[in-house]
Amino acid sequence: MNKLLFNPIRLKIMSSLINNSECDFNYLKKITESTQGNLSIQLKKLKEEKYINIKKKFINNYPKTSCSITEKGKIKFEEFFKNLITLKENGK
Amino acid sequence: MNSSRDQIEAIASVINNTRENLKPLSINFIFWGCLVIVMSLFNYAFPSLIASTQYSATLFWTVLPLIGMILTIYYNIKYRNKTGYETYLNRVIKIIWGVFNLSWIYIIALSFTLKSFHPVPPILFLLGMMLMITGLIIKFKPITLGGIFLTIFTFYLNFNPGINLLLVNIIGVSLGMLVPGLSLFYSKSYK
Repeated sequence: MNKLLFNPIRLKIMSSLINNSECDFNYLKKITESTQGNLSIQLKKLKEEKYINIKKKFINNYPKTSCSITEKGKIKFEEFFKNLITLKENGK
Repeated sequence: MNSSRDQIEAIASVINNTRENLKPLSINFIFWGCLVIVMSLFNYAFPSLIASTQYSATLFWTVLPLIGMILTIYYNIKYRNKTGYETYLNRVIKIIWGVFNLSWIYIIALSFTLKSFHPVPPILFLLGMMLMITGLIIKFKPITLGGIFLTIFTFYLNFNPGINLLLVNIIGVSLGMLVPGLSLFYSKSYK
């Protein structure tokens, strides 16, 4: 199993990004029910592995971070999901 | 959250959190339907006022739609920022209508250059195509039918060049945009 996606917060981030073309930081914070600091760390880890892209811009002088999934991220998530299904079918 | 079942449930719960909300799309249709109808009616009722100077009609039919475009873009950006995410469907719709806006500018620019070229029939034809594509993508029959109606209507226009294009605008946009837009707005399956 992919260790990076085994973390619940990272798994929730990837699940949200696989379903949407783009998600904002605040939306991911709400979905993952995590703190700002923790979410930043998890996003950084996913970015380092090139699973996601992070885009930062300023709107009305406020920083806005939005994330999207990469092709590599999609492949890894699909592999992880297939493995989960196999495990579930095997009763684990 | 260690078992595979828990993880699948977590994935499903996150995915279910994203709702395909097509209400902003319906508001765009209603807004544009109303704007074009009001503009056409105004032009129909006060033709001398609209054609008072050499450029007044051109300005009327370019400046107001451009303001409308800016307003709808602003509304859509605001809505996107409020939700915090953009679905793939919304992205596709955004691209389709973005291309339509560019095509509209292209046709208007062409009509400025070629004096014998009237922009209404090609714009209505393009609008019909865009509506058909949008309706088919979101699987909403009234919008697809609106697009089909506009396409047939523009085909008919080519055989009746003397027809009043303001009335054409009113009929075409009412049945092609306003009615499907209202139908989408009140549709329960998209709420």
